[in-house]
Amino acid sequence: MSLTTSEHESTDGGEHHHEYLPAVEGAENPGGEHESAGERDKKERLMIWLFIGGDLVILILEVFAWFYLRTLDSNGMWNAAKCTASANCVDGLGNPLIGPVAKASIWHPMIIMSLAIISALFVWAAESASRRKAAKSAVSGPALAALVFMIAAIVVQILQFQVLPFTTVDGGYASVYEFFMGSTLAHLLLMGFILTGLWTRAAKGRYQGGTFHRVRIMRMFGVWIAISTSVLAIVGGFFV
Amino acid sequence: MSIATAPLLLEDTPLGPKAGGLYRRQNALVGLIAGVVLAAIGWVISHALLQGSNWGSDMVVTVTLTCWVIGFNIGIGTFNAPFRWVVGKDSTREDELYGAGVGQGAARYWKYCTDHKVVGTQYFVLVMVLFAIGGTLAMMIRTQLITAHSSFLSPGTYNNIVTIHGMIMIIATIIMVSGPFANFILPIMIGAKDMAFPRLNAMSLWVVVSAVPPLLATFVLGGVDTGWTTYAPLSVQAPPAMDAFAICIITFAGVSVTVAGINTIVTVSTMRAKGMTMSRVPIFAWGSVVSAALGLYAMPAFLTAMSMMITDRATGTSFFVNQLGGAGWLWENVFWTMGHPEVYVILLPGTAALMEIASTFSRKPVFAYKAAVAAFVGIGSLAIMVWAHHMFTTGWAPNLATPFMLTTELISIPTGVIFLVLIGTIWKGSIWARLPMYFLYLFLWNFIIGGVTGIYLSDVPADQFFHGNMFTTAHFHYTLLGGAMIAATGAVCYWFPKMTGRMLNERIGKTAFWFIAIAFQVTYFGQFWEGFQGMPRRIAFYDPIFLRANQMSTIGAYFLMLGWMILLAAIIVSWRNGKIAPANPWHAKSLEWKVQTPVPLENFLVDPVVTSDPYTYGEGVPDGQNQPSAAPEPELVPAGASESTSGGGAS
Repeated sequence: MSLTTSEHESTDGGEHHHEYLPAVEGAENPGGEHESAGERDKKERLMIWLFIGGDLVILILEVFAWFYLRTLDSNGMWNAAKCTASANCVDGLGNPLIGPVAKASIWHPMIIMSLAIISALFVWAAESASRRKAAKSAVSGPALAALVFMIAAIVVQILQFQVLPFTTVDGGYASVYEFFMGSTLAHLLLMGFILTGLWTRAAKGRYQGGTFHRVRIMRMFGVWIAISTSVLAIVGGFFV
Repeated sequence: MSIATAPLLLEDTPLGPKAGGLYRRQNALVGLIAGVVLAAIGWVISHALLQGSNWGSDMVVTVTLTCWVIGFNIGIGTFNAPFRWVVGKDSTREDELYGAGVGQGAARYWKYCTDHKVVGTQYFVLVMVLFAIGGTLAMMIRTQLITAHSSFLSPGTYNNIVTIHGMIMIIATIIMVSGPFANFILPIMIGAKDMAFPRLNAMSLWVVVSAVPPLLATFVLGGVDTGWTTYAPLSVQAPPAMDAFAICIITFAGVSVTVAGINTIVTVSTMRAKGMTMSRVPIFAWGSVVSAALGLYAMPAFLTAMSMMITDRATGTSFFVNQLGGAGWLWENVFWTMGHPEVYVILLPGTAALMEIASTFSRKPVFAYKAAVAAFVGIGSLAIMVWAHHMFTTGWAPNLATPFMLTTELISIPTGVIFLVLIGTIWKGSIWARLPMYFLYLFLWNFIIGGVTGIYLSDVPADQFFHGNMFTTAHFHYTLLGGAMIAATGAVCYWFPKMTGRMLNERIGKTAFWFIAIAFQVTYFGQFWEGFQGMPRRIAFYDPIFLRANQMSTIGAYFLMLGWMILLAAIIVSWRNGKIAPANPWHAKSLEWKVQTPVPLENFLVDPVVTSDPYTYGEGVPDGQNQPSAAPEPELVPAGASESTSGGGAS
């Protein structure tokens, strides 16, 4: 490989210095990092797309499990719809099942979905404010709102566990539905963690002066969380 | 009068007493203690609250080992950065330098170090440890099978050992190239200063470390006697060890491999040196990227499968319990969605490394470079469409058998192209027969046998006979051990001087090679013989008609192990006392050989600008004179000569 050496030339565009940049007070460019915001943004955007790609595989397999078990309806135990007193259906604990397993309320997943979407919209608003170099509160305000809506979604998801009309042992439908809920909760918690960071850092002015890149990353992930939550809510709610 | 001068190298920067913050107090020992303490707390609480409930033991094991993983990673420092970020505290320059190992000498190998060369070296050692454990278990399996009714192991213990041998080897082979070399070598090779996300890089390593103890804990938790495929309903009915197994996989596949794969792809995509266009990217980078992309598809599937299984066991769901609305076929579909791509996750980086070796030691460019790239991408694409060939004998969707047979046989086309690329590269080359080339030749021999026997298994009628017998075992060992692991060994021999600053002792290495090469054939031809006779897999006792073939295989296995031990001795002896390596002992052309050894902290003292492809052998040299230069390499800083942080692996 022929090469020349060129001090202070970029790996991909002219900004990649060998030395560390000095710390920039208040900006999202900590002293420990020696890349431009643009370079970092390029890497982080690709990272988040790849992460979403991996998460998409999980989502597809969850939905596959739902429709596969629903179609197969092995032993008539998708939701025990054909179980009667004479059919000898039993749940996972050996208790008799008579009649179909009650469906989960449609409202909980719809509320969670709505809250996740609203939260993502607020992250989007925070990104817009950061892009247009608005005041600190114009970023931290929507960030806080996004966090509040996300916490609300988490609370509703936990509440739904308390009020479900079935338990994990009640067949295929109950199994996959609760798995959806667990998966949704894990995603919401992760987003809640990220939004806490967005809010605290926005409140410290980290996203002022056009340093919107990481807010955009969070918005991308927030939108993905809203989409995956919606898919699971719709499948679980409307395709029993 | 004293004059203050700036340090010449970044790693010589003096750091303040508070640099690194919490990281100063964290290392593997702290991780171990934190993991054990949190696991103990988890056990006490879960035992008190959950033991009496349904699935109590499974829940207790799950909670306890999850606490272990979390505790270890708290102790080692995995969560420092995310929590600092979330409270709005950024690291300073000194923190970053401390995190990269500056001023810590050999202690940095026991810490959450962000220098990719340190992480690569840590992976290298971890892989050797895993192979030592997996190899020992293999010897126990073969010892059991040396007679037809051996009492060396009980049938239950034998099955447990078969399972854990399989899983440890799968873990080790997944990381054996992408761990050490995609970390240590790849960034230098493309002209980058580090991996794209150094903290995630360290995380991927330490998460694997935390995943291994749960796997070994299976032996004291009742064992996993299902085979590494852990088919339902066996897995749902297994003892609590199965929960430990699942925790290991969720941690390893769901976190470590996924994160590492993302890091590799982003590094190659965004951090190449100026002038390094996609057609100038070293072929090893292509192999690593396609492997990482395939892993990004496969590992989330493994995570999903194991998550469903653990909920079946610990919360009473019924994904895989037929009588309760689940389906064993669901497990097989989700599992093999991971299972077959995973073969290529293992195989591609190693074969790509062999292409580098073939080019360097033949003094020729990689033959049909673009076809090789296309073959990698083709394998990556087809690999996700072949999973059901593992299910031909299960009765699942017979109408799909023919399409899956077709896709499986199609994948032999790009695989054949890779084979031809290797042959074409060394064809009429000026061969320099050093140790890496020996392993290249062995790979070619083994891989052709592994590939051809694979065609039989992709064929539905033939698979009906071979699927559950030792023919399959021999086939996948020819592919994964004889192919991928031999390729990885070639890579070790090739890049050892750059990683350690020492030359690998070739005399001992070649002795090891001949043991490995011959004993491997004896071992696995023995297993093909067993397979043709119809001996089933995963049995502790067998009919005496299989005795000769088993004795042949076991004797071969002992010598094979001896060969690996000799190679390990060569590595250890050379690493400690080997001849100091020049910067470019092979007179190779790619960037990793252009930097000094030991490699500086950020690899390049000045940023490289690439002006040609990495295989310009013989350019401007008359025909017949394309030999490696006999001129001595310039004297460079020898490894281990300073106490600096340079050159991960050198000190």
